[in-house]
Amino acid sequence: MSGQGKQKTCFVTVGATASFTDLIRAVLAPDFCKALESQEYTHLLVQYGQDGKELFDKCLQQSLEVGDLSSLQIGGFALDPSGLRQYMIQAKGQHTKPPAAEGLVISHAGSGTVLDALRVSIPLIVVPNSTLLDNHQVELAEALEEQEYVVHGQLKNLVGALKRAEQLRTRMKTWPPVNSGTHRQAKGLKGVMDEEMGEEELRIDLEVP
Amino acid sequence: MAFRYLLIALLTVLLLAIPASIYRLKVILDPKRPKPVRNGRHGDEKPAHLLIVLGSGGHTAEMIAMLERAVNEKDERLRLDWNSYTQRTWVTGTGDTISAQRVKEFEEMATTLPAERSHKALLVTVPRARAIHQPLLTTPYSSLRCMLACFAILLPSERDFPDIILCNGPAIATILVFTSVLLRFFDVRGCHSPGKMRTVYVESWARVKKLSLSGMLLETVVDRFLVQWEQLEGGRREYLGVLV
Repeated sequence: MSGQGKQKTCFVTVGATASFTDLIRAVLAPDFCKALESQEYTHLLVQYGQDGKELFDKCLQQSLEVGDLSSLQIGGFALDPSGLRQYMIQAKGQHTKPPAAEGLVISHAGSGTVLDALRVSIPLIVVPNSTLLDNHQVELAEALEEQEYVVHGQLKNLVGALKRAEQLRTRMKTWPPVNSGTHRQAKGLKGVMDEEMGEEELRIDLEVP
Repeated sequence: MAFRYLLIALLTVLLLAIPASIYRLKVILDPKRPKPVRNGRHGDEKPAHLLIVLGSGGHTAEMIAMLERAVNEKDERLRLDWNSYTQRTWVTGTGDTISAQRVKEFEEMATTLPAERSHKALLVTVPRARAIHQPLLTTPYSSLRCMLACFAILLPSERDFPDIILCNGPAIATILVFTSVLLRFFDVRGCHSPGKMRTVYVESWARVKKLSLSGMLLETVVDRFLVQWEQLEGGRREYLGVLV
């Protein structure tokens, strides 16, 4: 096996404000942990939110009793006010010593977190929280999956999502998307702000291939 | 008899006031209204004042991500020159230390000289319009408190009215934009005529198929309304690709 012995991290984030307990349960389920092991993951790190510690400890205990998890190390923390980007970079594994294998991020569908993972350019499974009332988060997950940026994961089939994430790894796209050469897209935020400041309209002629 | 005359007089005033107000609203909400002409934005005589509203969580993340991308753009013609906005006011909710930290990091990244940071970027806070899980009943009170704070921010003290108000969808932004419209309606301290407080709203990238509540409220009120998914384009809504 190629990646044997290398560290490979799966980082899970449930978000800060709305507690997403179902995701904590799902990633600590024995069959999911087994699936992680079979994909050569060595570490599972869970950001479980303000009041998630009790549940995290309970699920972890259960998982350790049921499953024979010899090679997977599981850890967790509540929140980190300095942001989660550092954990994603760590899971990406590029700059760690010794070099680690590229891992994975599993995240709630909050736009800030999704954006962070896209910019770090690490495979991402987005799991919308279906208990939220105004569920536009599903729309974002669906739209991004359609464009092949993320895997839209369902709570009841995280193992399947994990397999699809490995396929996504082989054809990762970079963020931000390259604008497709349409003129109206060219001016960006700067163009709009210049126009609003009363400056002449920005005209950029892109070379359209 | 006197009562009848009074009634007629009142009705007449009202009948005149309504069309006048509608006309006034039409004038101030027209995006083609005057713009703040800044010839050479680097001069201190005519500072360019940008006001940015941050909400919390996702709103802050998207705003900072969009600005980071704009000031780091590889193509020079598309790169936002941060230093050309010689006055920058950031608005956050009271106690939002995470947003305050993001502002600090962004300013350190985007400005080259330490002096430019300290003199030109200002962070102000307003009481939250609506805290998470706050009962709906108390929202009018907290919104009013937020609005009063917005008046204080927009009215000139050391700085003139902002030239551009840049925001996305938090409740604070909606209230601040409506406050600016109210100020312009009455042309308070001549804020409307020189084209001050032009508003740029960027709908959240998370809104794929329909607008957010803030978006719906602000669509006909702001000067520019940017969406980040093509299917939302149309009317006043402009699609310029993904901005975050």
